Amino acid sequence: MKNILIIEDDLSIANELKDLLDNSGYHGLILQDFDNPLDEIVQIKPDLILLDINIPKINGELLLQKIRKQYTTPVIMVTSRNNEADEVLSMSYGADDYITKPYNPTILLLRINAIFKRMENKNDNLAYHDLKIIPQKGLIQKENTEVLLTKNEMIIFTYLLSKQGNIVTRDELMTDLWNNNEFINDNALTVNISRLRTKLKEIGYENAIETRKGQGYILL
Amino acid sequence: MKISHYLKDKIVFILLYIITSLIISAMLSVFKVNNEAIIGVNVTLFIFIIIYLIYDYLRKNKFYSKFLANLDHLDQKYLIIETLTKPTFYDGEILYDSLYEINKSMNEKVKEYRLNLNSFKDYIEMWIHEVKLPLSSINLMLHNKETLSIPKVSAQLKRLDDDVEQVLYYVRSENAEKDYLIKETNLNKIISNVAIQNKDILLEKNIELEVQNTNIDVLTDAKWLGFIINQIISNSIKYTRDNPVIKISSQDQKDKILLKIYDNGIGIPKRDLPKVFDKTFTGSNGRKITTSTGMGLYIAKKLCQKLGHQITINSKENEFTEVTIIFYKNDFLNIAK
Repeated sequence: MKNILIIEDDLSIANELKDLLDNSGYHGLILQDFDNPLDEIVQIKPDLILLDINIPKINGELLLQKIRKQYTTPVIMVTSRNNEADEVLSMSYGADDYITKPYNPTILLLRINAIFKRMENKNDNLAYHDLKIIPQKGLIQKENTEVLLTKNEMIIFTYLLSKQGNIVTRDELMTDLWNNNEFINDNALTVNISRLRTKLKEIGYENAIETRKGQGYILL
Repeated sequence: MKISHYLKDKIVFILLYIITSLIISAMLSVFKVNNEAIIGVNVTLFIFIIIYLIYDYLRKNKFYSKFLANLDHLDQKYLIIETLTKPTFYDGEILYDSLYEINKSMNEKVKEYRLNLNSFKDYIEMWIHEVKLPLSSINLMLHNKETLSIPKVSAQLKRLDDDVEQVLYYVRSENAEKDYLIKETNLNKIISNVAIQNKDILLEKNIELEVQNTNIDVLTDAKWLGFIINQIISNSIKYTRDNPVIKISSQDQKDKILLKIYDNGIGIPKRDLPKVFDKTFTGSNGRKITTSTGMGLYIAKKLCQKLGHQITINSKENEFTEVTIIFYKNDFLNIAK
């Protein structure tokens, strides 16, 4: 399980964030010691850091610079300052992403997911059991057969794949689609999922996507 | 005005007089003029000089003593000019006229600030009423736990969030400081951000969102443009008719890029159209719907002006509204590339 360190001085936000991360298959940890944040970071060895810009004792951007001197741990900056200049500055200090409060929790999860995805598969080809998935071509290959997916179906499938074994809500899928400039509505999502199921059936994975009533979908 | 100060101010004149009278006396005695005549010339000169000095002192004293005394007594020193009559000597006139001009320009500046402050106060007051609506509705929802539904609460939170953003950008649009950053930004990215912000309400109200040809770079500040587009889309969401559609598209022209945001909503009456970018203008549509501060498009226009974009609106009542943002291309940047 991935450890995510939350550096945030507002306890209520930090706790909610921890719950959000814990419920999404990560392990959330909250930084306790703002006097020596680096020591705690060394101890915890997080896989990713959520760093608020406005933290006590030391400024978030300064801390980011210090972290970058020693580690390559991915960092997402979180801030209530809604300002393009800050964003550019943070990115230049080596932040991997930047998100402003009040953020949509689904978006935050998407960004975290995207960073981990980027780290894990440098090569773009994904795999599901004996299937080879080539997102750029919209192809799923199996030995000598292959099926073509539409852009929407591919977005849905790769998202489910990245969360394989976990329940994915319709809202998450919808947000990921919208994030990829596919502004579809509820009906279209249902249609896309049933088409995706049909296509998976064609290559022998009939019940790969299960519906969990009232919760969402799960790719087994 | 003390006499000693006055004489000190005239010291050069007095010294010159003394030297002149000494030289004249010396010259007259060289030419063997008799002593009585020399004394006579000197006395005459002396009397005229004294008369001049007394006259000059009295008229200046009259003005400056009153000036200083009034200045001392006045609570609001800037009113000094109102208590004085215009002096008859030249440097006094200059002072009087300058004070008058300075006062006038300062009054204008003060008036400008007062108007700004008043309109800010009006806006904040209106705004506070505005943010209390989602707050109290969330409060009520929490109280009636049975009817508590997550989409409803998040819709109210979105309203609250929009309100808070609006006041932030209002302040930014009024501020003379340059706190934005113009760089090449992809329109797609900004539009999908705004779309996701409005996703829940768009889906709930079954509004179709069509986005075309927006994979294009423009020179802008991503955050500011996001706010502007959000204001426009919020209006489209507010004023819908049947089968609502919002279409966003862009056109790449020779020297500019157009971003068009079209909706098939209730439209704007022709008479209201020229005024929609005015401060606190709500028009007849705004009066139909309660949550309208009339500030959204005003702020959007101000931000556009600061960024160097142009914003125009076209509409037909009961048919459509189309807002166009025009981004001018920067030749210099293309050459630099």
